[in-house]
Amino acid sequence: MIRHPYRAKRRTLLTGAAGAATLGAAAACGDDGPAGTADDPIEISFEWWGDDVRAGLYTEAIELFQQKNEGITVQTNFADFPAYWEGLTSRMASRDLPDVFQMDYSRLRQFGSNGLLLPLEGVVDTSDYREGFLETAQLDGELIAVPISGNTLSLIYRSDWFEEHGIPTPEPGQSWDDYKATIAELTPALGEGKWGGGDWCGQYHFMELWLRQQGGSFYTEDGTALNFEPAQLAEWWQLADDLHADGLVPPVETTIEWTTGGIPQDLLGSEIGWDNFMANYSPSVAEFGGTLALAAPPTLDPSNLGLYLKPGMQLVISATSEYTEEGAKLVDFLQSDPEAIAILGTNRGIPATNTGMENVEVDEYAQAVLDYEASVEQYLTTPPPAPPAATGAIEVKFAELYQQVQYAEMTPDEAAELFFTEAETLFAAEQ
Amino acid sequence: MSASPSTAAPSEADEAGAPPTRGNRGAAKRRSSAIRGGERFAGYTFMLPWIIGTAVFTIGPMVWSLYLSFTDYHLIRGGDWIGLDNYTAMFDDPMFARAVRVTLMYVVFAVPIKLAASLAVAMLLVQRRRGIGFYRAAFYMPSLIAMSVGIAIVWKALFANGGPQDQFMSWFGWEGGGFIGNPSVSILMLVLLSVWTFGAPMVIFMAGLLQVPGELYEAAEVDGAGKWHRFVKITLPMLSPVIFFNVLMETVGAFQLFGPAYIIGGEAGAPAWSTLFYTVRIYSLAFIDLRMGYASAWAWVLVLAVGVVTLIMFRAAKSLVYYAGEDNR
Repeated sequence: MIRHPYRAKRRTLLTGAAGAATLGAAAACGDDGPAGTADDPIEISFEWWGDDVRAGLYTEAIELFQQKNEGITVQTNFADFPAYWEGLTSRMASRDLPDVFQMDYSRLRQFGSNGLLLPLEGVVDTSDYREGFLETAQLDGELIAVPISGNTLSLIYRSDWFEEHGIPTPEPGQSWDDYKATIAELTPALGEGKWGGGDWCGQYHFMELWLRQQGGSFYTEDGTALNFEPAQLAEWWQLADDLHADGLVPPVETTIEWTTGGIPQDLLGSEIGWDNFMANYSPSVAEFGGTLALAAPPTLDPSNLGLYLKPGMQLVISATSEYTEEGAKLVDFLQSDPEAIAILGTNRGIPATNTGMENVEVDEYAQAVLDYEASVEQYLTTPPPAPPAATGAIEVKFAELYQQVQYAEMTPDEAAELFFTEAETLFAAEQ
Repeated sequence: MSASPSTAAPSEADEAGAPPTRGNRGAAKRRSSAIRGGERFAGYTFMLPWIIGTAVFTIGPMVWSLYLSFTDYHLIRGGDWIGLDNYTAMFDDPMFARAVRVTLMYVVFAVPIKLAASLAVAMLLVQRRRGIGFYRAAFYMPSLIAMSVGIAIVWKALFANGGPQDQFMSWFGWEGGGFIGNPSVSILMLVLLSVWTFGAPMVIFMAGLLQVPGELYEAAEVDGAGKWHRFVKITLPMLSPVIFFNVLMETVGAFQLFGPAYIIGGEAGAPAWSTLFYTVRIYSLAFIDLRMGYASAWAWVLVLAVGVVTLIMFRAAKSLVYYAGEDNR
């Protein structure tokens, strides 16, 4: 009687996909396949996640690609991030993937370890990538993706509020206690309903940063287990306890209602986050008359910030694609054709190729991200191996169990124990 | 239902063309048992789209999921037969007890309140008044839009901290804030959403109310029965088959509630698992954890549970439901 709207959508998607596959198979049986000429073009599919703005840019770039490559037509499709992965995960089971699609680092192993992604060495042009960018495109030493852009963790803060209340610019190497002191100073100064910073303990990426600062890592090298102890997790989940007790960070009852971040709502003075969020937040903050800036996130060890360059998005080619050559052409075009770069701009982050860097138009927000990345370059260390396939589920568990702690439904120790049990089940389900 | 000319002989078509008349039941029975092969074939042909649809989209997946529930099927890795392990694992799973508790709590609150509200409104709406058509449409309206994302946004605004519900309740000394952020009461948001969308049972109640013979009320009035007595002694017994039907449908529906819970609480049943309905948990086991085998076992336990509840209700109905005319037979 009551139906979930997305379920219908997925079924439509699946039916559509199945229909397309049948048609494709029928077409393949009928003749020797398309000749790749203007009259009989080869059709490849390309899918991504993103909003309408991104879709407009991609469509424009693809039109240009089709003009430049007569005989290839590109069928495109897109969805928002959750729907995109929901669709692809279901299609993964039937090995019915687009020829070329956008990949996220957190899903690279899930797809790559099942042989669903085409090894790209010698298939696409790898000569033009900026230093360090291709490292995170590999799985067990094999290149299976190319990065579109890169990002790294940072402290995004309201430079106007910091200045107004006489708080010095955060320097690389500031400790977690320094950061807490900053929040403790800023929150009362901002007055009722605004806070100097937000609770950062519910995000596993930030705990990964904290573990890296101690020389550790979140997952073991082979990605089959957690690489820390429940006691460490319980400790991490108590890091913001004193801030909560003094009302210096927004309580969970408040943040649970937020549908967008605290910074773009003009409610938060700072937040740990990926540096490319700066570009997304800045326009809203500017409407409130504020300015944003980036600084290095707090650390346990001034000489080790735990930072690494994470691919913002990647492009991959399906291993089941019939037209890998054409797919590779599209990848190379999107990554390093000067005109394509000019069209796509910094919508997906700062380009990962040198040609991309030279041809992209950099606005002030993108420039701030570039400046920040240059300022912490000396601190960037080897990235962790691609996370295990279960990482999507683990990320969700991490957040929901921290919520139990925030609501005092569980003690940090109980929640940490349960997290380990759940994670073990998830790892075991994959073996 | 008449046979198509291409598949039925003319003589049969003539026979089928004569509709069975009321009071001629015996003849109709004889006729239906004499349906010949051609006509039967035509019948099944017309039913084919439905049969294919049911087989491919309902029975097929159900059988498949029953099979999966005995495997450790993982969406990517595949799976092997593990017998009853999934079913035994559920009893050690702390999330199972939680999901069952949340779901039962919802069923116990939402079904009676929703039915009481829909019966009350139905009784108002069967009256003959000017513009009653408008009111009927207006009260039915919410059930058409309840599943939309728009309503989820409205609901979140209504039950936010400092929102209408919080303000209203704080006049009476409430200090719990908005329901959205408060795990101990957040389920009430969904109960209220369910009550608000009482359109379907309301329409059924209205149909039932219009069937109650007016002379019963007249006779009772002559005997001096008040409004309350007429309701308890006439309306409720005469309506009991309809009430039973609604209780059954609403209970089964409540056990399977997914859409509103998922839109409002998300896949993790925020806040703090307080809206972690059984079906929401199935969804996240299947599509986030990718553990299809285990999720299928959960789904089959729900099927069994709903089946048992339905059976109990049918048993109970035997003594509680009054079918008019039954005692004459």
